[in-house]
Amino acid sequence: MFVHLQGPWNPLTGRLAWSDIPYRNAIVDGAFAFVVIGALVILTWITRKRLWGYLWREWITTVDHKKIGVMYTLLGLVMLFRGFVDAVMMRTQQVLAVGPHSPGFLGALHGYLTPYHFGQIYSAHGTLMILFAITPILQGLMNAIVPLQVGARDMAFPYLNALGFWLTAAGASLLMLALFVGDFSHAGWIGLIPLTELPYSPGVGVDYWMWAVQIGGVGTTLASINIIATIVKMRAPGMTWGRLPIFSWTALSTSVVGISAFPVLAAALALLGLDRYFGTHFFTAGMGGNLMLYTNFFWIWGHPEVYFVVLPAFGIISEVVPTFSEKPLFGYATMAAASVAIAGFSWMVWLHHFFTMGAGPGVNAFFGIASMLVGIPTGVKVFNWTFTLYKGRIRFESPMMWAVSAFALLLVGGLTGMMLAFPAIDFTVHNSVFLVAHFHSMLLLIGFAALGGISYWFPKIFGFRLNETLGRRAFAFFAGGTFMVFVPMYMLGFMGMTRRLDYIAHPQWLPLLIAEEVGIGLYVVSVYYVAKQFYVSIRDRARSRFAGDVWGTSRSLEWLTYSPVPFYNYAVLPHVNSRDEWAWRRSHGVASRRPDHYEDIHLPRNSAVPVILGALATILGFGLTWRIWWMTDAAFAGIVMAVIVRAFVRNTSWTLTAEEVERLEQGFEDVPPTQTPADHALGGAVVLETADNPP
Amino acid sequence: MDRRGFSNRLGLRWARLIPLLALSGCSTRAFWLFHPRGAVAAAEFHVMLLDVGIMLAIVLTAGLMALVFLYRYRKPRRQAYDPTFVKSNRIEVLVWGVPLLTVGVLAYFSYQAVFATNPYHPKAITRYEKTEARKGMAVGPAGALRPAITVPGKKPVHVDVITTDWQWLFIYPHRHIASLNKLVVPVGTPVDFRLTSATVVNDFFIPKLVGEIDVMPGMRTKQAMIVSKPGVYSGYSADYSGGGFSWMEFVTKVVTAGQYRRWTHRMAHARRSLTDTTFNRIAAPTINLAHTPKAFAHVQPGLFRHVVQRVMQGKVYATPTAMTENMKKPRGVRVIH
Repeated sequence: MFVHLQGPWNPLTGRLAWSDIPYRNAIVDGAFAFVVIGALVILTWITRKRLWGYLWREWITTVDHKKIGVMYTLLGLVMLFRGFVDAVMMRTQQVLAVGPHSPGFLGALHGYLTPYHFGQIYSAHGTLMILFAITPILQGLMNAIVPLQVGARDMAFPYLNALGFWLTAAGASLLMLALFVGDFSHAGWIGLIPLTELPYSPGVGVDYWMWAVQIGGVGTTLASINIIATIVKMRAPGMTWGRLPIFSWTALSTSVVGISAFPVLAAALALLGLDRYFGTHFFTAGMGGNLMLYTNFFWIWGHPEVYFVVLPAFGIISEVVPTFSEKPLFGYATMAAASVAIAGFSWMVWLHHFFTMGAGPGVNAFFGIASMLVGIPTGVKVFNWTFTLYKGRIRFESPMMWAVSAFALLLVGGLTGMMLAFPAIDFTVHNSVFLVAHFHSMLLLIGFAALGGISYWFPKIFGFRLNETLGRRAFAFFAGGTFMVFVPMYMLGFMGMTRRLDYIAHPQWLPLLIAEEVGIGLYVVSVYYVAKQFYVSIRDRARSRFAGDVWGTSRSLEWLTYSPVPFYNYAVLPHVNSRDEWAWRRSHGVASRRPDHYEDIHLPRNSAVPVILGALATILGFGLTWRIWWMTDAAFAGIVMAVIVRAFVRNTSWTLTAEEVERLEQGFEDVPPTQTPADHALGGAVVLETADNPP
Repeated sequence: MDRRGFSNRLGLRWARLIPLLALSGCSTRAFWLFHPRGAVAAAEFHVMLLDVGIMLAIVLTAGLMALVFLYRYRKPRRQAYDPTFVKSNRIEVLVWGVPLLTVGVLAYFSYQAVFATNPYHPKAITRYEKTEARKGMAVGPAGALRPAITVPGKKPVHVDVITTDWQWLFIYPHRHIASLNKLVVPVGTPVDFRLTSATVVNDFFIPKLVGEIDVMPGMRTKQAMIVSKPGVYSGYSADYSGGGFSWMEFVTKVVTAGQYRRWTHRMAHARRSLTDTTFNRIAAPTINLAHTPKAFAHVQPGLFRHVVQRVMQGKVYATPTAMTENMKKPRGVRVIH
């Protein structure tokens, strides 16, 4: 032990003791019961349907980019739900704990959450939503769509792709463990320094946060590398840079941001780990440490991370708007340029996250103006989408509704963002709920776009549509909730309300807090409809099947192949003739999906190593958090061994013969039919692969 | 006061807050940022109005255009469908040019405002004093004798601010007095703050008077303000600092010069003195539920500097584990009711 730890430690269980399991807390008990019952129901269902083998072969060990994309998105949606529950809890606490006479429940002085419990909830909310909900959902969409859009058979590194996903899942698992074993960080998703240092956070909460983010971050870095390699090296013949769909352009920009920014976070967290585990003084207030160094490091990653998630969202809007306007995207070249420009600006604005640190006016002015520059390419995007609508034939289907609302949120978020870019204005609203409302406008823009992207591409991947009526209801309540929560929140910011309060000392804020609670109620209804939409759509999938282009007016290359997408994506790699290839083929009467010849297809083999590495990483993180050294040693040794063993596996690919492909392709109907033969729990692509594994 | 006894009268207590619902609807009084009472806060508010005005011109245009297009070109109408309209150099110049120009204009105002509100030397205060002096010259014969420009501002009041877990200590170094959780300053006089923290980062914020500035351990930041109207204002920490953060409030009383003089005299006779030892007691984790103020006389000279240096040498006021892990009522810390 290099540091002084409060509380006991023993070699066998480290800092872990029975008392660390908060079973006496009614809220944690409730959450635990919910998770356990939910898990039991799902596991029983899987066992009764005898799906374990199928799950293991087709999903857990898969290296197929579409399935990994689906798993990413699913993980993100589950985490989105947990982050949402955190949000409900916070809003409810703030409504209950107003003024010195407000009642207290469950042992809390006011409201029903004690200060540290509230601290953990807001920290978990931020960490979950940004790193384990929005990021995986967008990663999932990029994973599933980008190879299709550039005309590739898979990602450049399919095995690495699976590994990236399982590391992200490992980080998410650590976050779930933190809910039931020990506690989570109370120092925010950004790790407020020096609150995260050992004297001020003596428990394991910060360690949980640190390792979860660290492990998840490695996964995201790997995913970024993969997407860059795929877009740069795997484009189909004819897919020049000038023909690359905008979503792929944003995926490329975002991944460049990802690989350049995430290592900074990894370094910052590693140094913080040294402080907490070895007693160094990188970021402490005393002994020569510099806490603002951490803040700088964090935001040198943290700000690009914001664009890391916003760029794919812009990409989704740029795909959805032309499809439902029945018109090509206006100003393609400038849209691509704007994406790259936003990625570029993302590196030079990080200081605006701490204008209040007391830097000189010159520094603040520089970063303030740099932050405003981001508004230029963003403004270009806004106007280009608007001109895409001009002289179009606009249909309001649910992806379009999500996209248009995202556009509206971008206007609000842009307006308030331009306010926060003024250091002088930032001083008055820096840590207020005005800022919270601003970044929620931006992140909800991403959320709207992501949900729109899911409803837009879901039919592509699975071959059947999501229920439109329920989708519209989900959208309506989601939009209503957004309005009702965040308009009052902006107003509260002008009233001077600051963020992260678990007790409200100023009763004049109560009416607007009640309004926010009503908005949260609307969100709850929306969550119900989203869940119902998935349930009903999967139940009635036979009725909403289609073979190719579900929207009828889709434009980019991914719609050229069948829906659900065969596991080899394209029987013959397409030759790209135009910017909007599918639209071009439609208008030139060559929209047949059936090629004139077939060829052998070289495909990657499934591997269990990624999921094993993910599990070992979870154990490693758990051991590090509780300082159980035998466990960390064993897990680390296991990771090294697994990597070495994998390095000696030669049999990593197989060949699908041309005859096989031809036989498979007969299963697909070329003209949009009413029904395809494939029918399975999650769509036809699955069943085809089960049936046609190599001997 | 017994906090637990209120549960039976709970309904009544809550009912009192209902009129506030109506109140917040028709008055902007509750919007503190719209009613700045200090030159710095006013400068910040004015540049906000300017920024919002300019930005609204663009945002509203874009929003209206989108709305009109969405309405005009919706599918059933089949009006003027033209899928070949995908590029227009004239529009491209506009969509890059307009944001660029706007950012240029905004950048100019932002640059000006940064200097006006620079916490270390806000030009807004100098400007405010000059205006006040000129006003004095216009109305009073006494003022006319003095040339306005060369009038030095009133001698500023110096206040050293130290945050602990989770209280505010205001030291008036020139008068050797200190006040816990209560800040008293004279109206119309510049106030110079030096701020540091004994533990973690906080953020000093009085919404109606002055913007936020970080309060950091082992470091010193500065802030300055001048208040135009006497009154009682709320101030608090804006940056999360742990369990007692939500109760980390202080009252700011802005009084006339005479009242301020009397207050300092009263304070000088306070029973408590503030030495290193007393400070360590204050700095131990304490949740101050009632924002109880305390007065100190005979403040040890150079205490502020001492606190900064000691934190730099590695002094910490650690939070007990019992408090962070226990989700029930805070234990292991003092709670002031």
